Amino acid sequence: MWRFLGQRFLQMVITLFLFQAATYFLIDAQPGDIADLLTLDPNIPPNERERLRAELGLDRPPVERFFKYIGNFYRGDLGVSFQEYPKPVIDIIEERLPRTLVLFLSANLVSFWVGFVSGKILAWRRGGWIEYTSTIAGVTLYTVFLPWFGLMMIWLFAVTLDLFPAGKFLSPINWLTAPVNANYIFIRMTISAFIALLIAFIGTLLSNRLEPRHRLGARLVSFIVPLAGLVYYWQTSEFGALAWDITSHLILPILTLTLYAYAGTMLITRTSMLETLREDFIFTARAKGLPEKVVRDKHAARTALLPVWTGLIFSLPAALGGGIITETIFSWPGIGLAYLQAAVVEDIPVVMGILTIIGILTLISHLIADIGYAFLDPRIRYH
Amino acid sequence: MTATTTPDATISIPEVPLWRARLLMALSSLRSSWAMFAENPIGLIGLGVIVFYGLFAAAHPILMNTVWDPVVYDPVNGFDIEIAFHPSAPSMRHPLGTDVLGRDVLSQLMFSTRYEFALGMLAALATSIVATTIGAISAYYGGVIDLLLMRLADLVYMMPLLPILIVLGALMDIGMIELAIVLGLLFGFGGTAIVVKSQALSVKVKPFIEAARIAGGSDFHIIFKHMVPNLLPISLLYMMFTVNTAIAYEAILSFFGLTTIEMSWGLMINVTQVFGYLLRFDTWWLLFPASIAITTLCAAFYLVGRALDEVVNPRLRRR
Amino acid sequence: MEKSENVLEVENLTMHYTTRKGPVYAVDNVHFSLARGGSLGLVGESGCGKTSVAISLLKLLPENAEILGGAIRLNGTDVVPITETEMRKFRWKNISMVFQAAMNSLNPVYTVEDQILEAMHQHIPHMSEADMKSRIEGLFELVGLDPSFKDQYPHQYSGGMRQRAVIAMALSCDPDLIIADEPTTALDVIVQDALLKQIKLVQEKVDMAMIYISHDIAVIAEVSERVGVMYAGKMAELASTEAIFHRPIHPYTMGLMSSFPSIAGEKKELVMLPGEPPDLLAPPPGCRFHPRCPYATEICQEEEPEFKDHDSGHFAACWHPGGES
Repeated sequence: MWRFLGQRFLQMVITLFLFQAATYFLIDAQPGDIADLLTLDPNIPPNERERLRAELGLDRPPVERFFKYIGNFYRGDLGVSFQEYPKPVIDIIEERLPRTLVLFLSANLVSFWVGFVSGKILAWRRGGWIEYTSTIAGVTLYTVFLPWFGLMMIWLFAVTLDLFPAGKFLSPINWLTAPVNANYIFIRMTISAFIALLIAFIGTLLSNRLEPRHRLGARLVSFIVPLAGLVYYWQTSEFGALAWDITSHLILPILTLTLYAYAGTMLITRTSMLETLREDFIFTARAKGLPEKVVRDKHAARTALLPVWTGLIFSLPAALGGGIITETIFSWPGIGLAYLQAAVVEDIPVVMGILTIIGILTLISHLIADIGYAFLDPRIRYH
Repeated sequence: MTATTTPDATISIPEVPLWRARLLMALSSLRSSWAMFAENPIGLIGLGVIVFYGLFAAAHPILMNTVWDPVVYDPVNGFDIEIAFHPSAPSMRHPLGTDVLGRDVLSQLMFSTRYEFALGMLAALATSIVATTIGAISAYYGGVIDLLLMRLADLVYMMPLLPILIVLGALMDIGMIELAIVLGLLFGFGGTAIVVKSQALSVKVKPFIEAARIAGGSDFHIIFKHMVPNLLPISLLYMMFTVNTAIAYEAILSFFGLTTIEMSWGLMINVTQVFGYLLRFDTWWLLFPASIAITTLCAAFYLVGRALDEVVNPRLRRR
Repeated sequence: MEKSENVLEVENLTMHYTTRKGPVYAVDNVHFSLARGGSLGLVGESGCGKTSVAISLLKLLPENAEILGGAIRLNGTDVVPITETEMRKFRWKNISMVFQAAMNSLNPVYTVEDQILEAMHQHIPHMSEADMKSRIEGLFELVGLDPSFKDQYPHQYSGGMRQRAVIAMALSCDPDLIIADEPTTALDVIVQDALLKQIKLVQEKVDMAMIYISHDIAVIAEVSERVGVMYAGKMAELASTEAIFHRPIHPYTMGLMSSFPSIAGEKKELVMLPGEPPDLLAPPPGCRFHPRCPYATEICQEEEPEFKDHDSGHFAACWHPGGES
């Protein structure tokens, strides 16, 4: 296990290095450099421009500059944003990253779970109009033009039903007198929600050990208790109203991204289930006289989960893209929106920094997915 | 044509040139594949939508040359001076209204369609060529070449595509052809190459490859004459999925204003956004037609891809 | 449930598949019975309906298949009209099966013990967990497996071990009847032989009836008391193993015998008969074997022969039994 992790870690570091090299030289190869950008003013004499170049190290060969960049990167220095000069890139990432992580994780977890359950049921009830409508609806959702879908969500939930705000991270009017900044509350919200989720998860695991007739009740309790605790904590907290302000802005982006990611999981689960249902061990399970529900859930779905999990790994980069689009449509200031805005104005340090962070996130999620796969498939576990 | 060629093909096989025998075999397998494809209403719906958009695109030049006055209806430079305020709501004169700059929305929509097809096809073709070549070479040589190519494929497959396209779009001038080539390279080096290679491995061990090698065929000859033709069906299947992804990425990038494409569905929505009409749902004709067109065309290619998948992959077949 | 003398009685069983090109009568008017503790071999070329008989007995039909008529009496109860939920109680408890593809009949994500336990939980819930586990150990020994292997996953077993585990699983709920559908086909010859001996041994030790399905008549001869020869969805001949081998009545069986090597060792597929098995979409009229039969006359082409007793328990469907005219 440790050897496996060590190997994977080394692989990740090499891959990250290659990724950084590729992106660095790709961006570096573009005409014009930072000095041109900083010194667009024609009044600055050419020798002054050259002096600035030398000072910024731009007269050095690209390979040397790249290694200097990498060195700084591992010391936590990602440079300074041009656009918000002199704000360090690392500060921007620090502020924006937790938000995007929350959006990304919650949308993907929910969509994976719901998509798996519904795909499983759809494969089981094959044929008839349900199959066709659900497939067409799933495919439409899967291939939908996401900006339009986001706008439709805004139109439905924010404009027509007026349930949630139409965008942004918070409503400034509520924060005029707030003693703390938004990130402080956001981090505390995330931690408290994580603890509640952990309790619910442990409760569900424990409830599986109970006798079947107590199981449903125990499961309900293990969800309701942490949820009630969470609500109670923020109700009594002095920042309750502020936390609700952030939450209400968060719901719509999460919902949009969840629905978008849901369709992919649902479709791949359905396909995987249909393949698994043709396996001989499903026939054996039926011959054993097991109830249909056991055949479906214990035998078919558990085995069908393996390709679905692999599919999830491969859909993560696309989900990241979906996150950028969602943040843009909702003007929700996560890392994706920061990236797009920086790219449009050619704020190279921010673009490089965030691109690297995205690369690291992708690598980490691959690692987690691989470990999860080994956990799910005994053929890998007991190799 | 088949009625006249079939008899002599079956009676005197040696006299039929090889290409013709191959063509006949391809035709007959195509016919049975079509029968299987046609059983699936989902695939037929997708095909129907694609045909509809094909006709939609073809109708545009005809309309421009007959009923539509180019000064008013030109998709890029047109302007209707008879209407006082643009954007104007749908009317008899403009079935889908006019955009912020006074151009006919329907005309823009129809004009863009041909580019969506061209982009999708070009990207898919590039993907196919790259993936088939890489897959065949990787499977044929094995060893270090295989390892290097497949590691590269893994790397490309893992890369978050949209952020990279955004940076390329922001720093470079990306037009239709550049975008198609970039997408083709990224798709071709990534997932599709991995799939094609696994197929190529099973082709590699077939007796005719061995026979070609014993007959003294060069590596190049074996790869491109014997392996690649057998990899084309699976390549074609993945082409369908590439088409819809390429169209979707073009739409997103144009929507962000990061391409230099003159007119496309994504750009129509970008113009809407730039002039601040995006969140004004009363001017729906500036947003809906293009968005629905992107969604339905992508869904159609995806549906056809899935239906083909069921034909190629017997495990998914109903019976 | 009153115990009848026969554990299984199949009467005029007819089952068909609906295909794109029309109905395929895979099992047509099949008739046989099996005494308690007895053994029956079903033999025939591939596609003759052997496996279709087996899955009909378990009522585990694919979506496009349907039992059109006849009766399947398990311990005297006709299971053809009963519902799926009721049928589930019969499966494994009364009638269990060892499948052709044993490689794949174990779920790769659960241990072998888990998969046997789940059947026992379903059918013998009154038994304690500890008793179940010791029973599994006993079964493992019975089929010639090391009991310490029971906690392992199927991929850790070899092909022969998996097949033994599947047999242990089939025995787990102490069924009255076990169907073995080509259980040794996928294995190599040496393992095949060892497994056959084991199956014979198990059958002697455990008092249960067995239906053994194979295309290999040599295998059938080794394990069954009676043999049914199937041709194109119909039962051609049914008699004791001894009678089938020495006094075959049906020309098809006679053909099978001549293609059966007299010296044990080399095993052949049944390919010595001239011609091909008929297309079940459009079976020939009259006796289905007549196009390949050396004794065929006019009546064979026109009228179907009746499946009747020719010599105390020696059944056959033929107009010219034993080749007489």
